[in-house]
Amino acid sequence: MRTGAAAGHEGYYHEAVPYHSDDELLAVVVPFLLGGVEAGEPTVVSLGERTGGLVRAALPADSGVTFLPGGDLYARPAVAIRSYQRMLAGYVADGATQIRIIGEVPRAALGPTWDWWARYESAINHAYDTFPLWSMCAYDTRITPAPVLDDVLRTHPRVVTADGRRPSEAYTEPKAYLSEDRAPLPDPLQRAAPVVELVDPSPTRARQAVDGVADGRLPADDVEDLVVAVSEAVTNALRHGRPPVRFRLWVGADRIVVEVADGGGGPADPFAGLLPAADGGAGGLGLWITYQSCNHVALHRAPDAFTLRLTAGNPHFTG
Amino acid sequence: MISDLDTAASYGHVCWSYDDPAAFDRRARQFLAEGLAAGERVRYVTAEQPERVTERLRGLAEFSDALRRGAAQVVSLDSTYPGDSVDPTAQVRRYAAATEEALADGYTGLRVVADVTSLVRTPDQLAAFARYEHSIDRYMRVRPLSAMCGYQRTALGERTVAELACLHPESNVDGVLFRLYACPPGDGAAALAGELDTFNHELFATALERADLCPVDGELVMRAGDLRFIDHHCLTRLRDYAGGRDATAVLRTPRTAAARLVELLGLSGVRVEAAR
Repeated sequence: MRTGAAAGHEGYYHEAVPYHSDDELLAVVVPFLLGGVEAGEPTVVSLGERTGGLVRAALPADSGVTFLPGGDLYARPAVAIRSYQRMLAGYVADGATQIRIIGEVPRAALGPTWDWWARYESAINHAYDTFPLWSMCAYDTRITPAPVLDDVLRTHPRVVTADGRRPSEAYTEPKAYLSEDRAPLPDPLQRAAPVVELVDPSPTRARQAVDGVADGRLPADDVEDLVVAVSEAVTNALRHGRPPVRFRLWVGADRIVVEVADGGGGPADPFAGLLPAADGGAGGLGLWITYQSCNHVALHRAPDAFTLRLTAGNPHFTG
Repeated sequence: MISDLDTAASYGHVCWSYDDPAAFDRRARQFLAEGLAAGERVRYVTAEQPERVTERLRGLAEFSDALRRGAAQVVSLDSTYPGDSVDPTAQVRRYAAATEEALADGYTGLRVVADVTSLVRTPDQLAAFARYEHSIDRYMRVRPLSAMCGYQRTALGERTVAELACLHPESNVDGVLFRLYACPPGDGAAALAGELDTFNHELFATALERADLCPVDGELVMRAGDLRFIDHHCLTRLRDYAGGRDATAVLRTPRTAAARLVELLGLSGVRVEAAR
């Protein structure tokens, strides 16, 4: 039996909490959490340090609410989906009839990497729908840019504030939302000519190109993961895209940026990257691995090209 | 150029693909001359009339005396590899006997050049010879036998040469990105080097089948210190191969990405261990 606002709902009950003040956040969240504990439901907080501290202080001691360390879980969208799906499956296996979670993406995610978090917020309507989950996604309107708030309303079916809850009129079904093209913000590094440019490279040539510029500027594990991602991206472009496949690489003080473009239309699956292809379909697993292996992946569909941009190191550029 | 020559894999088992027989003959003579200089007995196995090759070598300073002493030998392909298709066990036994004989005669080892193009022309011949290549590779790893195996690319095609080249620790074949070869006894089932990805995972699976590796205590240990890259397709192939032998695949590699891929994909039949 599900309780609270989600009582009687099947699957995922996904709400946005665009709050204007700390008091408003607490007015929404505290009853949500205490109601979960009272109903015997697994009740989880996955907030950043500041907001998590606010909520913790507002709850009674030994409230029964589980606090997750925020950072790592929200490092990458595909990682977050995988981690949450595991956690939810565990709760359901233990007999949970509803799980309540309040979460927020890190503040840095509201910047240049927002495009993949917007895709995350849309995709989870589908990805978590097999679970009796009621979750709230908190967005502080004082620091959230207006275009991000627009995406929040388009990716959450419901909105809850201190004034009450309502359906989001702007909500767009994930398949439609994820199929739209959004040109990613150009990385300032891309204003300069790439340091490596290859046409129709073999995956091994592309891997060598990444290894060749690494030069200790990033941790070895990050470079290895970028090599994995680049290899998958180039393989997909060669196998499933249309020639020519263009590989371009830029190097900055704190990051390596790679673009892989081909003349095709990109993956047909709107969830590609965020979820492994259910049918093992064309390149689906490779793109999912790419999403797991980079600190940012942006995809862009133009009329005659599909482009993936992969970033290792710090993707939160300014300027 | 021999690819990825490194001390770990330099025990003298070389695959040499060629287009021009004269160029192969030059390389073969060089390989054998190095053996003579190292005090080895050398043997040129040829599909030509041995007498004709002997005559040619006799005119060369580095071979004339060696031929007279029995340090250099020229033998026919037919007498060395009897039958239509190689018998891996029997052939290893023959070379083992010849190696021990060379040692008994006071040489430091036996070095062989053989153009074996005509022994791998049919799929059955190729499969048998590829199995033999790994069997003799294991022997060479521990005993002082070395060999250059010649394959004429224009007669066999790229794919056949690739299937053979990847079973040698050293080769001159461009485009064969990985090598599966013997590792020292006790170190594991075999060594892997190079790069394994979507474009060679079928070749990798074929190589594994031909190598016919034996797990120990339920583990198939692959030494992968020189493996620069392995993708999810090849990790899955390795898992399936080990699983078919009731074993867990253990990949010992300094590359940490392999461990993350295994965890990501939930490949329970593969364990990645850190190695230098």
